[in-house]
Amino acid sequence: MPTRHPQEPDALRGSIDLLILKALALQPMHGWGIGLRIEQISRGRLDVNQGSLYPALQRLEHRGWIESEWQNTENNRRARYYTLTRDGRKALGEEVSKWKRFAETMALVLDS
Amino acid sequence: MSLLKGLKARARSIRSSSAADARMEEEFLFHVDMETERLVAEGLPPDEARRRALVSFGGMDRHREEMRDGRGRRWLDDFVADFRYALRTTRRSPGFAIAVALTLGVGIGVNGVIFGYVNTMLFRPVPGRETSRLVALFTVDNRSGAAHDLGYDEYRDFRDRSGAFESLAGMTGIPLNLVADGNNGAADMVWGEMVTENFFSVIGMRPALGRFFTAADAPQGANAFAVLSYLSWRRRFHGDSSVIGRVVRINGAEFTITGVAAPGFRGMRTFGFWPELWVPAGMYSVVMPGSTNQLQGRGGGWVMAFGRMHPGWTIDRTQRAASLFAKQLATAYPSSNASLGAVTLLPAGTGFDHPSFVKSSVLALASAMGLFASIVILLIICANLANLQLARAAARGREIAIRLALGSSRTRLMRLMLVESFVLTLPGIAVAALFMPLGARSEQYLAPHLQFQVGLDVRSDARVVAFTAGVALLAGVLFSLAPALRASRFDISAMLASVVGDRRRTTKTRIRVRDALVVSQIAMSVILLVAGTLFVRSLWIARQADLGFDASNRLSVSVNVGLQGYDEARGRRFYDDVIARARTIPGVASASWAFPVPFDTYDRRMAFYVEGLRTNKETPTVAVDISVVGEDFVPALGLRLSDGRQFARADSGGTPEVMVVSQSLAARFWPGVNPIGRHVRRGSPSGPEVTVIGVVADAKFATLGDLTERRAYLPLRQRYRDWQTLVVHTRGEPMAMLRDIKRVVATVDPTLPTFGATTMTEAVASGLSTSRTAAMVAGFFGSLALLIAAVGLYAVVASGVVERTREIGIRLALGSTPTGVLRFVMRGGGRLGAWGLGIGLVAAFGVSVGLSGLLLGLSSRDPLTFAVVPLVLALVVLIATYLPARRAVKLDPVAALRRE
Repeated sequence: MPTRHPQEPDALRGSIDLLILKALALQPMHGWGIGLRIEQISRGRLDVNQGSLYPALQRLEHRGWIESEWQNTENNRRARYYTLTRDGRKALGEEVSKWKRFAETMALVLDS
Repeated sequence: MSLLKGLKARARSIRSSSAADARMEEEFLFHVDMETERLVAEGLPPDEARRRALVSFGGMDRHREEMRDGRGRRWLDDFVADFRYALRTTRRSPGFAIAVALTLGVGIGVNGVIFGYVNTMLFRPVPGRETSRLVALFTVDNRSGAAHDLGYDEYRDFRDRSGAFESLAGMTGIPLNLVADGNNGAADMVWGEMVTENFFSVIGMRPALGRFFTAADAPQGANAFAVLSYLSWRRRFHGDSSVIGRVVRINGAEFTITGVAAPGFRGMRTFGFWPELWVPAGMYSVVMPGSTNQLQGRGGGWVMAFGRMHPGWTIDRTQRAASLFAKQLATAYPSSNASLGAVTLLPAGTGFDHPSFVKSSVLALASAMGLFASIVILLIICANLANLQLARAAARGREIAIRLALGSSRTRLMRLMLVESFVLTLPGIAVAALFMPLGARSEQYLAPHLQFQVGLDVRSDARVVAFTAGVALLAGVLFSLAPALRASRFDISAMLASVVGDRRRTTKTRIRVRDALVVSQIAMSVILLVAGTLFVRSLWIARQADLGFDASNRLSVSVNVGLQGYDEARGRRFYDDVIARARTIPGVASASWAFPVPFDTYDRRMAFYVEGLRTNKETPTVAVDISVVGEDFVPALGLRLSDGRQFARADSGGTPEVMVVSQSLAARFWPGVNPIGRHVRRGSPSGPEVTVIGVVADAKFATLGDLTERRAYLPLRQRYRDWQTLVVHTRGEPMAMLRDIKRVVATVDPTLPTFGATTMTEAVASGLSTSRTAAMVAGFFGSLALLIAAVGLYAVVASGVVERTREIGIRLALGSTPTGVLRFVMRGGGRLGAWGLGIGLVAAFGVSVGLSGLLLGLSSRDPLTFAVVPLVLALVVLIATYLPARRAVKLDPVAALRRE
């Protein structure tokens, strides 16, 4: 199957999605805010390529896990705010436990 | 809900790509601005802050592209790529692709053809307005339950006084003598319909040309107008639009053509002669010469009525209203209508027939069975192809495992499988499209050839195309689904494990499903084959059957002198003259008039009273099939006189009435007694006496199913009839004499049309057309099913060989002989074949009992059939298993072992 668009490995793509969902779990946020929060939560250890958040956001929105609308920021600037949907919240739970299992397995294998 | 939101978001972004772009740009800009502000707040100079913000955002163009791809362009690109790849894969195995195209094409095409028939019988409306509101009306005899056409007075009462119908029309079919082009043109016998003036307006048809009848045409006898059928207009007038207002001669009288009916309209009857023209009932004295007033009558008559229901009325409501009115008529006219106090309504929107002729439920049943058979065939084909695809997918296991391992997503893989199957389906649809015109073509062979044109006029209209397209789509999806679903739950570890280990464990259940499928396929083809063979055998036996008359070297041609305006005296002179001249032709052995003749589809009956014969209490008489014949009818028709004499010239008007009876009629009337000299009374116990002067062997007149044929032959000289068929026994090829015979008729009356010229052999063949059709269809389906089952068996055995290459390799390496391997591989396929055959034979036995009514002179347990079918099947199974088994024998043991 020839692919003209090199695909990101499943794992990385999945992790960006997971991080976004996690960041939105607290409160609705615009794209820049999501990037900032991921950096804060990870205490600067995850340096996400900021632009790549947006394709991920679009993907999640198409999947029905998040939705978006225009709102004004505190500084009265228009920004696109993203909110977790019910499906998104459910997916977050599943993704988290899946990720944990994967991480445990990896740890198990690597520690042995 | 969220899923819906997601879909909406997706739809929004695809629908309005520029709006999505604008939103994207604004979000990007906002992001960079915010990041710049943050960096400025950390103390960087604005220029530097902006530069850093842009850098940390990453390649903006790349993100733009990715988002646009995410909005759907990517999907299209991938699809094109998959399509190309699928084409390449297909080209790599052209044999497989051709097999798929052919079987799928045949499967889809058969469905289309069958639906073409069903469509004409059940769904295609006559060209009119709101035809679902059209219903046919018959009165019902509450003693016998028989449905009757209406008398004209009844028709008028139902139309004007019942209030059950918005409008009501009537019709009847009649032969007409037509001179279409001027006075010197040759006359033709055509089928026409005499209709009430509102006939076309009740249907709600628009004329293709001119106008139809109006109420103003109604004055009796003064409305010599005719409407042509579209087909007749094209044939006789080459579609000339100046035909309106032209004068034609019908039965010698002048009629003006007022209009041409809508294309495709072949009368309201589903199974009937196609009328070439319509004339108003007011002209009955011309179109039914010698008849008494046809615009009256109760207790049944010529009017086959159909009406338009009131808007919003159901057929039940209309039926109640009409029944109520029928009861009133029964009370008002007890002498004629006492027993006719009920009605039956039939939906007439697609055409209808007299219920005693063809029951509409039978049509629906036949249609359902035809469609069922064809759909089952298609399902089997799809299952088979899915099997083949699965087998191929199994062979490609490593390729798929590697793809998955390399990060190809499952949906992507599933889509590739779908696209591959789709690519394989396309040529199949093309083959099916080639099949479609066969529907119309096949009808020419299946429809009987009678004196006037009949048929269903099967055509591929939009409904047939839509149905076939739907079937094709269904087939495509079914056939693609299994491999695609399989790809979606492909287990990488199991697959990779199977590369090194034993694969049988993982594929066991799938193989079992496949085995069951093949067994049921074989069983089904056994059933269809048995049915087909029974029909073919029955047809063959019927052809050999003793018809009771010698059909060879007999030519028949019909005339209707009544329509030519002959009175009885002139008619008698004509009959005598033609016979006298025909006898002088060298090559004519004998000639006689007769009607009906064997296999001309007409029947005439007469009631006889026989003293001492027990009948039911209601009627003391017995209705018997009769033929009115000339003197030499025994040799001319090839009958066998077993006792007494045939008619002589002396048996004419003024002498005692005589008749000749068939052996079985004699046995019914006078069991164990010599019938010669016995007599019956005609019509009633007090009717005129008719004496039996001769006995002929039973002859089969209508269908070959009539095993006992009770018939009385009455002399034409004593019972004048204006419609007769000249039957000539020729010494050579009968059709070669046709010109001579026609010349004889033309010498006596050059303007009299002859019609329905045929040989008796042809007429018999045509009478067999129902059996022939059944034999052809059943034989076709049987062979098709067998072919498909053979392919299925082949596929199972072949993929078994592939899957067990390792095992076979070991066997060969351990010294197994090629014959041993052959036997080992074929045993598996043979077992499936045996199971299928066994189950199929048991089922076929049951089915054949149900068919016994349709088999003429053949037991449904015909031993030959039940011996031949298993033999044929065994042979096919042998071939289908031998071919792949031979491949197993040719395996190189070393290569086979190294392969895995």
